Amino acid sequence: MAKILKALYLENCIGCELCVLETQRQMKKIGLEGAPIRVFRKRKDKSEYLEFGIEIDPRVSTLDLEKIKNICPGGSRI
Amino acid sequence: MDLTAKKVLEINLTDQVAESKTFGELNKYIGGVGLGLKLMETYYDKNPIIFSVGPLNGFFPYASKTSIVLNNDSVIEDIYIGGNLSLRMKYAGLDAIVIYGKAPEGVVLNIQNTNVSFKDVATQVASLGLPGKRSDLILEGADVDISVNPGARMKVILNDYFTTPENYLEQRFVACGIRGIVITGTELTTPKDFDKYQKMYKSILARKEDVSVLEASYPSCANCPMGCGKSKVGEIGGNILIHSLVACQYADKIYSDIGIVFSCLNVLGYDYTHEDLELLPGLIEDTLRRLS
Repeated sequence: MAKILKALYLENCIGCELCVLETQRQMKKIGLEGAPIRVFRKRKDKSEYLEFGIEIDPRVSTLDLEKIKNICPGGSRI
Repeated sequence: MDLTAKKVLEINLTDQVAESKTFGELNKYIGGVGLGLKLMETYYDKNPIIFSVGPLNGFFPYASKTSIVLNNDSVIEDIYIGGNLSLRMKYAGLDAIVIYGKAPEGVVLNIQNTNVSFKDVATQVASLGLPGKRSDLILEGADVDISVNPGARMKVILNDYFTTPENYLEQRFVACGIRGIVITGTELTTPKDFDKYQKMYKSILARKEDVSVLEASYPSCANCPMGCGKSKVGEIGGNILIHSLVACQYADKIYSDIGIVFSCLNVLGYDYTHEDLELLPGLIEDTLRRLS
């Protein structure tokens, strides 16, 4: 069965973009263009706190998902 | 991405024109504060604000800051901001952005790679740039009437969170009429020896213990897993090599090691030598002497 990458515990995302850069490196690219993961920020209810959203393209399933999961700070936040 | 020269985006606010220029002779200044100070010398009469990144930004962990060099009442200041601005600049193919002049009606700059559009101050900054590939610097508090609210302070905020120390950048934004800057980078590159690069990337990322901040859950600089509470306010002054790279000052155990820096530069395809790195402090000292 094909593995699927899902972003869980979004409240723990710190916006470091390590997952985005990991996917790009797996495709031997440095940069953001064409990245299958994108990180967005949003202000939480106009407070000073930030939240992040993660958009994952299904193309990511062709990559090494374990490496993407493991690079997230905290180990298994994604 | 040209590794043998520095690409500088020059933005003239008065005439609302921009031009990207390539300077081979600036390569020896490495980047960050070294490059910023040399550009300050070149553009001194125009009283510029200079944003610059280093050769490792966008490529290696803990090298995530952006250098800002400006003239504050005849004192040249170097300040540093975190977030993801340095990655956007690097992926825009830029080593530095030099902004000078004054937009009398105020302006929002929308930069995508080397293209600049000048937007009026009513423009919604959030509508500019490409989602997931953009950074925005916004002058907050510019609309507050300080005669009504004397305690109000303006602050330039990057991505709704990161700022710089002191109030130097805010003063220059006001003087230049800048209300916001959005930068989007869409270039891609591949290091010369990709497998070796991957190994170096992983080995540096694994050196969390050598970064002298506590791991936490604050918004983090891009390419940094620490999420520390120190990055919000940026940095001021400090180690020349670290700030020329422009790495995090708390990662100085990693990036003040010339051997590691040389290996990182080499694996990316830069042709710097050990001697170039050792000569850098002297070059910067000479530039500062001329500037003063």
